[in-house]
Amino acid sequence: MRKYASTVTAALVLALSGCAGAQGGPESGTSGAPTTLNIATLTKTTSMDPATAVGSGLPFFQPVYDTLIKREPDGSYSPMLATEWAYDDSNTELALTLRGGVTFQDGTAFDAAAVKANLDRFKKAGGPDAANLAGLKSVEVVDATHVKLTLERPDPGLLFYLSDSAGLMASPAAFAKADELKTKPNGTGPYRLDGAKTVIGTKWVYTRRSDYWGAKLPYDTITMSVFDNETAIVNGIKTGQIDTAVLQDVGQQAGIKSDPGVTVADYPFDFQGLLLFDRGGKVTPALREAKVRQALNHALDRETMLSAIRQGRGEITAQVFGPSSTGYVKELDGRYPYDPAKAKALLQEAGYGDGFTMHLPRITAIVNDALAASMQTDLGKVGVKLVWDQADTSVMKKIFIDREYSGMVMNIGQSSNDWIVVRTLVLPGTFNMFGTTDETVGKLVAEIQGKSAEAAKADFQELNTHLVEEGWFVPFFRMTNLLVSDKDVKAVPQAGMAVPSIYNYAPA
Amino acid sequence: MPMFIARRLSAGVLLLFVISLLSYLLLSLPDLDVARQLLGNSAGQAAIETKNHELGLDRPVMVQYTDWLAHALRGDFGTSWFSGEDVTQAIMNRLPVTASLMICVTLVTAVVSLLLGVWAGVRRGAVDRVVQVLGVAGYALPGFLVTLVIVVVFAVQLRWFPAIGYVDLGESFSGWLSTITLPVLSLSIGSIAGVSQQVRGSVIDVLRQDYVRTLRARGLPSSRIVFRHVLRNASAPALSVLGMQFVSLLGGAVLVEQIFGLPGLGSMTVNYTTRGDIPVIMALVVFTVIGVVLINLLVDILIGWLNPKARTA
Amino acid sequence: MNEGEGRVNAPSTVRRGALGRLARNPLGLVSAAVLALIALAVLLAPVLVSQPPDASDLRHAFAGPSGGHPLGFDSAGRDIWSRLLYGGRTTLSGALISLAVSLLLGVPSGLVAGYRGGRLDGLASWIANLVMALPAMIVLLASRAVLGSTVWVLMVVLGVLVAPAFFRLVRGIVVQVRGELYVDAARVSGLGDARIIARHVLVVVRGPIIIQIALVAGIAIGLQAGLEFLGIGSGDTPTWGAMLNEAFQNIQRSPALMLWPGLALGLTSGALVLLAGALRDVLEDRTGGGSGRARRRAVPVPAAAPVPADTVPADPADAASADPAAAAAEDHGPAGRATLLSVRGLAVGYRLPDGSDREVVHDVDLDVAPGEIVGLVGESGSGKTQTAFSVLGILPEGGRILRGGILLDGQEVVGLPERRRRALRGGMVAYVPQEPMSNLDPAFTVGSQLVEPIRVRLGLSRKQAVQRALDLLSLVEIADPERTFRSYPHQISGGMAQRVLIAGAMSCEPRLLIADEPTTALDVRVQAEILELLRRLQREHELGVLLVTHNLGVVADLCDRVAVMREGRIVETGTAEQVLHAPADPYTRTLLEAVLDHVPAREPWQPRKVVVP
Repeated sequence: MRKYASTVTAALVLALSGCAGAQGGPESGTSGAPTTLNIATLTKTTSMDPATAVGSGLPFFQPVYDTLIKREPDGSYSPMLATEWAYDDSNTELALTLRGGVTFQDGTAFDAAAVKANLDRFKKAGGPDAANLAGLKSVEVVDATHVKLTLERPDPGLLFYLSDSAGLMASPAAFAKADELKTKPNGTGPYRLDGAKTVIGTKWVYTRRSDYWGAKLPYDTITMSVFDNETAIVNGIKTGQIDTAVLQDVGQQAGIKSDPGVTVADYPFDFQGLLLFDRGGKVTPALREAKVRQALNHALDRETMLSAIRQGRGEITAQVFGPSSTGYVKELDGRYPYDPAKAKALLQEAGYGDGFTMHLPRITAIVNDALAASMQTDLGKVGVKLVWDQADTSVMKKIFIDREYSGMVMNIGQSSNDWIVVRTLVLPGTFNMFGTTDETVGKLVAEIQGKSAEAAKADFQELNTHLVEEGWFVPFFRMTNLLVSDKDVKAVPQAGMAVPSIYNYAPA
Repeated sequence: MPMFIARRLSAGVLLLFVISLLSYLLLSLPDLDVARQLLGNSAGQAAIETKNHELGLDRPVMVQYTDWLAHALRGDFGTSWFSGEDVTQAIMNRLPVTASLMICVTLVTAVVSLLLGVWAGVRRGAVDRVVQVLGVAGYALPGFLVTLVIVVVFAVQLRWFPAIGYVDLGESFSGWLSTITLPVLSLSIGSIAGVSQQVRGSVIDVLRQDYVRTLRARGLPSSRIVFRHVLRNASAPALSVLGMQFVSLLGGAVLVEQIFGLPGLGSMTVNYTTRGDIPVIMALVVFTVIGVVLINLLVDILIGWLNPKARTA
Repeated sequence: MNEGEGRVNAPSTVRRGALGRLARNPLGLVSAAVLALIALAVLLAPVLVSQPPDASDLRHAFAGPSGGHPLGFDSAGRDIWSRLLYGGRTTLSGALISLAVSLLLGVPSGLVAGYRGGRLDGLASWIANLVMALPAMIVLLASRAVLGSTVWVLMVVLGVLVAPAFFRLVRGIVVQVRGELYVDAARVSGLGDARIIARHVLVVVRGPIIIQIALVAGIAIGLQAGLEFLGIGSGDTPTWGAMLNEAFQNIQRSPALMLWPGLALGLTSGALVLLAGALRDVLEDRTGGGSGRARRRAVPVPAAAPVPADTVPADPADAASADPAAAAAEDHGPAGRATLLSVRGLAVGYRLPDGSDREVVHDVDLDVAPGEIVGLVGESGSGKTQTAFSVLGILPEGGRILRGGILLDGQEVVGLPERRRRALRGGMVAYVPQEPMSNLDPAFTVGSQLVEPIRVRLGLSRKQAVQRALDLLSLVEIADPERTFRSYPHQISGGMAQRVLIAGAMSCEPRLLIADEPTTALDVRVQAEILELLRRLQREHELGVLLVTHNLGVVADLCDRVAVMREGRIVETGTAEQVLHAPADPYTRTLLEAVLDHVPAREPWQPRKVVVP
């Protein structure tokens, strides 16, 4: 961390205050003195209750809560609160062996009963993890350190969930008081939330817990600060008030790269693309035709979009599977080259030679001016009239419940776990709210579910290829974010997660 | 005077009541879909309905409002639907930031505007024109442009002050001062532009008054006339503007708080309002209206003190 | 807040020449031209641009200027010039909508509330306060949800939120005007309320409203941009605010994108503010009484080469030789000049905006001997007050002595430094003004206003000064000096106030008293009392008095000698008897014949500064 100091300010400040107080600013990382890691982010967590947690907010929880399984930076699993885990032959029973001698902040012992209480609570709370754990039939306490999870059917995503928000274990003693966990998190993790210094919504301050069961993390204090724009974050990094952050905006990335005081690392995570929902043609009848969907794919000039919108920082793609997943097929990235003539021809063949109109919701945080305008232009060239509806407060309801839109442009994190991709985007549910599917998809999904990830590789790739050929989606490009950190901090990107886990930081 | 204050306060209470009602009704107009925001897009309809019931959102709006009012009257503003924090506590956590900002800006504005305005109004000529041009520039420049330039110059380039963050006054005075300086500077510029013009205008107005001529005819030195008589008489209109400026600062604070990453009420207002966290928004509304009523009252009392004639009005 | 939004003393008129005068005001002209240019460019947008504002070609993103695209391209590869002009259409017409809405809501309600008063006023004011206190963010979000999220909805709502600014302005002015005589007169003569409002009241509020319009337009434009920044935007419609926001998002990549929309916004709102300022200056420019407005303070030293003081003889061309009355003056001292006050060849001028001077007093000769009361008579605007002010050295802003000399107690005061000139005021020569109420500082008690000059001029201790002030109050026959001492000016009557002013004038024992229409503003009974008081003081203190008046009755009553002024010149001088009974000048005869009192006593409307919220 650069020490923020200025003789001018110091003189001014001293003159005005008349006392020789300590300079305000983050402590320097010299040995002996308490060390602080200041993380900045644009995402914030709703509350500190694991039941409201989502994957992108995980760093807010990790200081206080441990997960059952730890996910390493490369996406592999390693022991945490669970020391061992094993499926039975049918892949419907998962046996967990738990670490002994671990206590929650409040002194309650962590044991099998606590695991059951947490998992049951997730299912009941109706939040994001209720959906993730929908296939979990029952949790059985074998003994204090052994627990058995029974599934309706095999769920290749379960271990991922247990290393993610559904694996966050809170003290069952806190469950009694309804909202207590929201502001007073209570887990087995390496830190406690410092309620006095925390300003919820803006700044969370965590201080080291002396009786943590595991290895000490390198920093005595971790602060998570939330900002509304990356300009503030970049300024904060430049002036030393922030130690590390992941930047999405390419302009901001370019702005900080030249700063000699920082270390940067490329951090690929999201892809941006148009998710088509209405493949059954309920809202926009034209979308029923695979040829129309293919035409949309050919109509967009991905290369130009990538270079103009992302300054080339990323890779164009036509598939929703990311390079870290097994279903990824490199050749599919270039499956739909920019070809307006072909797009027109495809529309003609499908019987939409005169084009059609498509309304899409515009969430300005995702669809900036450049994207909105260029999509309109590109689609307009092949006769498809794109109308952007300005998103208002009820836009999510319109999309997910009222199903008013036939698609939306999203940034979707590319999970390292293939099954997560399938579950989120392909199976009927969140992003397939119209519940469309076809024979091939049904057959392959059934195959995949019964197999281990390695064994299912061919099936995933076949599924991926099928989705691309059928034009289920119109992905644009994978975006390269930038992990920036102060020279004194070494930060490691986390595969399949928007931001690094808190375990990934160390003094450089 | 006590009668006047009592009357104003009771009018303020009525205002507060009506505004709280209107705000509640307005808040229930847009479909904020709080339950879905809480549970995520994957939540089923049943879970959503349960959540709505839990939050009491399945009741008629007027019932919700009376329930809120009954609690609010006892000083209980509830807890945030999203973060679960105690609303009063949450506001109190952020109040020092916004209060520091607004009070400092108001003081800086008052002092600088008074000096500039009097200088321009009394000297006229070139000085006047320079002050006027500066005023127009300060007024016409988009606020966030000014703020960004200030950050880049004083924080990023010169490193005189931190670019972001806030240190509480109780923690360290020097830290507080260094974190608050640039935000105050950014907000003051526009504010000074407006108020100094007002002071200038009032000073010119007062200088033309008959009693100023009479005071001159009595042989009083002009410095004495300006600083004792003109200033006092010109202060009343300037104070009204300053009061209004103070209120509108709440809006301007949003921007500055966002750019400087300050944990204040301004950004809180925007974030919670767009999200539809009714307990928090309602408490913010109440606090703001109380603030506005008190500031206006204070301004009127000050004006009455400066101008005895206004006391009877 | 307070009710003082608009303070008005008397009817104003947007003079017919207002536009003309605006054209002569350089700032006003430039800002009006800038606005006109912007409006024109925006109106002609379709002709001036080479592609529609939404046409986007990503390959041109961030590209610099090129043929047909003078300002280059934005982040979406759209033509900035085109967006600037079309955005200006939306931004400016949005501002117009806001303005129209707030005018429509604010002005009529303000007129009616101010005019009718009572409960209606109370209710309307309360609603205005309510609207001002409403949390704008909530209102905007709710209205967007209900009415749709277009820029037009936004601007209409903004208009509603801004309406109280007009309401309060108009109401404040109307409340002041309502009590004015001419409105009463109109009411008595049976005019309907609507006609009174249209004919008398609207005229008064017109000026301030025009000024406020310019300011509110600027605010509406600024707010729209600010809302865009907060994400309450205009959607796909190009506006300057949307352009700025887009530029902000690309600030690291291309900060220059800020330039054009920022400039457009800044120029427009800057021009609006300047225009408002210029309009204000033009509208409040009142030429009545010869006080042309100029940007200079009164200077005691004439800038134009003054006639050296000791070489100021009676001008050979002066009427003196031809005028029998001049002979009488010669009785008063050596070289025909009175020992107390002697004015020779005095000319007073006002600086005009073009730098030249307008002469309002020409070659005036005037003498006052110790213990003598001299009446300076003439119609309003004849220059008598200017002459009196010249003697005191308190000409209003822009006015100055062009020529001539003034001997006070034998000392030439023209060209004297302000500090030495000031030393004479109050002590040597004192002033009793015309309008008692407006000549007392409303912010201080009567006592403190009396004590202050005593302490400053005579250097007395606080206690001594208070005693002296109380003595003075007794001297001017105030029944309860202690009480009056503690009172504020608004708590005492006009007659009482005039006594206080006389006491103030007497406080430092002057030898010459200049009384400018000291009784005009008072009712007849009080007039007589004040005149009697003046006469007594004059006798007891052997004062020389220069009594400026248009009232020949007062002259007959009080004066030893009389000088008659017309159009800035002395037309006749002589003893009171001589002038009143055997007037030499035809003008004096006309004056005598028309023994009327029809001249309005007070100056017209003084606009206050418009509040920039």
